[in-house]
Amino acid sequence: MDIKNEIKKIKTNLHNSIDVSDRTLEKNGAEIGFVYLKSMTDNAIFADAIYEPISRFSGEISFETVKELVQVNDVEEIKKSEITQKVLKGVVVLMFSNSDKVLAIDILKFLTRTPSEPPTSPVIMGPREGFTEDLKTNITLIRRRFYSEQLVLEEAVVGSSTQTKIAICYLDGIADPKIVKDIKKRLSKIKIDGVIDSYYLLTLLSDRPDSMLKQIGCCEKPDIISAKLLEGRVALIVDGSPIVLTIPFVLLEDLQNSNDYYTNYIYSSFLRFIRLMGIFLAVFGPGVYIALQLFHYNVLPINYLITIADTTQQIPFTPFIEILFISLLFQILYEVSLRLPSYLGLATSIVGALILGDTGVKAGLISPPTVIVVAIAKIALYTVPEQNAQITILQFVFLVLGASVGLLGIIGGAIYVLAYANTIENYGAPYLAPFSPFILSDNKDGLLKVPLSDMTNRPKSFSNEKKERTDD
Amino acid sequence: MIRDKAIGAWQTGIILFFLIFANKILILPSLLFNNAKFEGLIAPIFLFLIELGLLFLFYKLKIKFPKERFFDVIKNNFGKVVTIIVFFLIGIYFLGKMVLLYNVTYIFFRNLIYKESNNTLFLICLLPVVNHLAICGVRTIGRTAQLFLPGVVAILIFAVVVGVFGINSSVIMEQSTFSNIALSALRHVSVFGDTIILFLFMDKINIKKGEWKVVFSFFGAGAASVMAIIVVFFLSYTYTSFLHPFAFFEILSYVKEYGGLGRLDIISMILIIFLTYFQLAIYLKAFFVCFDGIFPKLDRIYSVLTFNFIFIILIYVAVINLSRIIIYAEYYLPYLSIIAFIIVPACCFIALIAKWRKEKRE
Repeated sequence: MDIKNEIKKIKTNLHNSIDVSDRTLEKNGAEIGFVYLKSMTDNAIFADAIYEPISRFSGEISFETVKELVQVNDVEEIKKSEITQKVLKGVVVLMFSNSDKVLAIDILKFLTRTPSEPPTSPVIMGPREGFTEDLKTNITLIRRRFYSEQLVLEEAVVGSSTQTKIAICYLDGIADPKIVKDIKKRLSKIKIDGVIDSYYLLTLLSDRPDSMLKQIGCCEKPDIISAKLLEGRVALIVDGSPIVLTIPFVLLEDLQNSNDYYTNYIYSSFLRFIRLMGIFLAVFGPGVYIALQLFHYNVLPINYLITIADTTQQIPFTPFIEILFISLLFQILYEVSLRLPSYLGLATSIVGALILGDTGVKAGLISPPTVIVVAIAKIALYTVPEQNAQITILQFVFLVLGASVGLLGIIGGAIYVLAYANTIENYGAPYLAPFSPFILSDNKDGLLKVPLSDMTNRPKSFSNEKKERTDD
Repeated sequence: MIRDKAIGAWQTGIILFFLIFANKILILPSLLFNNAKFEGLIAPIFLFLIELGLLFLFYKLKIKFPKERFFDVIKNNFGKVVTIIVFFLIGIYFLGKMVLLYNVTYIFFRNLIYKESNNTLFLICLLPVVNHLAICGVRTIGRTAQLFLPGVVAILIFAVVVGVFGINSSVIMEQSTFSNIALSALRHVSVFGDTIILFLFMDKINIKKGEWKVVFSFFGAGAASVMAIIVVFFLSYTYTSFLHPFAFFEILSYVKEYGGLGRLDIISMILIIFLTYFQLAIYLKAFFVCFDGIFPKLDRIYSVLTFNFIFIILIYVAVINLSRIIIYAEYYLPYLSIIAFIIVPACCFIALIAKWRKEKRE
C-alpha cells in the first residue's frame, strides 16, 4: 500500500479539514500511516498507547505485530472502503506499506459533562443522576442498574449527514418483540439528513406525526427509564441528546413522577390528584372564568358577582380582551425569562409581577380577579411540565371557546379533544389508557397508587411478553 | 386514525346507558304529566319493557350472527331492495330524532342562557364535535363516553339526592284512565326505541359469553335513572309539572342556592350538554351506517356532506319553538317509530327463524 498516496486520498475525501491529522512512521523499511481527527480522539491515548509502543518496537513491523503492540482494547480490522467513515467517527486508522490490511483503533473522546440532576425532574428523595449527551455514558447509567443478561442494546444509525447512533434498549423476555421489530423498521425507513436531538425522532416515530399530542415518552433520568424498561417498554438513546425516548407511551406517564415511587403511596396518590387538578385548572381555568363572566354569571354566588362587578366596571377592555392580553403578556415574559441570563431573570420577574401587574391593576387597565385567574392557570401548568406545550395551546383554545359560546363550547371542545386523543393508539397502546378504555389493574398505578408490593403485574395498556412482575 | 373498530361489553353498555337516559330527561316528564297526570309514570315503564324486548332480540341476533353486519343479515333474508328500503327508513328515523333532540336542547339553552344567540351559533358549536365523534367511529364514541361516565353518574346521583330534598307531596294516582296512559305512551314512543342502534353497530360489537349481563345492567341503570328523575320531578312540582318543561334542570332549579355555592342548576346544564353531544353523535353514526349500507361505494365524505346539508336545511326550515317541537314529537315522529318498534324487530325475528330452521335442517 502506498501510504502517502492513501493519506492524501483520505484527506481529499475529508476536504482537507483542519482537524484531520496524519503521521507516518518508518521501521525497518516498513512504513505505517496514521490518520485521525484530532478533534474527536484522545490525543494522550494516541501518544501513549498507540504511537509510543509502535515507535519503541525494534522488531519487524507488520499488521499482526502492531495489533499486539497497541494498548487499546477496541481494535478491529476494516476494509479500505470504510476508512473515511471510521475516521469521521473518531477512530485512528493505521495503514501498512507491507500489507493491504487496515487497522482501526477506537479512541473516541470529546468533551462531555458529568451526569447531574436534570433541571426538569428534580427529586426530594431518590437518585439524582441524569443522562448526558454522550451515548456511552447514558448506556452505562442504564447498564449499572441491570446486572442481567436480559438487557439488550442494539444499534441503529439515522441521518444521512449526521449518521447519528441510536441505541435501542429493551429487556429480552419482557418487551414485546413485535414492538421492537416495529421500531427498528420505522427507524430504518426514516429518510432525513440529520438527527440533532432525540426530539427529532418524536414525530418521525409517531403514528400521527401531525398531532399536537405528544405520543412518545421523554425522560432525562436513568432510574425512570429503568422502571419503564421493567414495564416492557423500549428505550431509544440518541447520541448527542440527554433525552431518552420510551415507546409505547400513554398520557398517564406524564402524570406520574419519579418522586411518587420514593415516597408514601397515599401521599403519592394525593399528589397525582393535585396534578390532575392542576391540569384542569391550567386547561380550563381561564376559559371557564370568562364563560361564567360572560354567559353564566347568574350561577355565581352573589357576593362573588358583586366583587367581579366592582373590579371590572372601570376596565376599558372587554373581559375577553383583558384575559387574552394578560395571558399573552405572561407568555411573552415566560419566553423572555427562558432566554435571558439568570441575573436578568430577577429583573424580568420584577417588571412582570410588580410593574406590569400591580401598576396595571392600579391604573385600571386590568382587574385583580383576572390577574389571579391567569396566574393560577399559569402556575398550575407546571404541575405537569412534560405537557407544557400541549396545555398552553389548549388553554388558549378553551379561552376562545369560553368567550365565544360559554360552557357549551368548552364542553364541546373537551369532548372533541378527548375523542381525538382516543383515536391515538401508538404501538398498540391506547393514549388515554388505563382510564379509557378502563383497565382496572393498571389503575393500581394510575390516578391512585397502591403500595409497591401490590403492583404484581406489568401494565396491560400495551403488549409485553410477561405480565407478571414476579419470577415464580 | 381508529375508525369503526370494535367495542366490548362495557362500552356497549355505556353507549346504551347514554341513549336510554339522555333524551328522556328534559321535556318527556313534563309532557307525560300533561297527558296522563301522575299515571304518566306508567307509560315509560311500559315503553322500557318493550325496549328491553328489543335488547333481548339484539342479544339473540348477536348470538346467531356474531360477525355479520346488520345489513347482510337483512339482505340475506329479504333481498337487496328491501334492505335498502329498511336502511333508508332507519336513516330517516334517526335524522328525525336528531332534529327533535337538537331543537329541544336549543330551546332549552336559548330560554335559559343564550337568549340573544341564534341557530347558527348553536350549529357551529354542535356540528363539528358531533361530526368528529361520528367520523372517528363507534370505539371512539364508546371510549370517550366511558371517560365521562363517572361525571355523568355523579351529577345524576347528586341531582336525584338534591331533588329528594325538594319533594313536598306524595303520588296521587287514579287521575287518568288506562286509555290516557296508553295514548300517552303512544304519543311519546318516539323518545324510546334507541336500542335499535345496537343492531346497526352489531358487527362492531364484541361481547363475550359472560359479559351480556353488563349490557343488561347498564340498560337497567339507564331506565332506573330516568324513572328516578321522573318521580322526583313529579313529586317536586306536583300539579304544576306540566308548566316546567325542562325536568332535569328544574329539579335543581328548585334548590337554586346551597351553602352559598351559587346556583346548582349549572350542574344539570353541564350534564345536558354532555348528553346532547354524545346522543347526537351516536344518532349521526347510525345515520352514517345507513348511508354506507345504501351507498357502499361512496366515500365517507359524501355521507358527512349529505347529513350536514339535510340537517342544516331541516333545522332552519323546521321547528324552533317549544309548542311546534311538541307537536312534531307527539304527532309526527311516532309514525317513524314504526321503524324501530315494528319493522326492524320483524325483520330480525324472521331472520332468526330462518337461521333456526336452517340449523335444524343441517
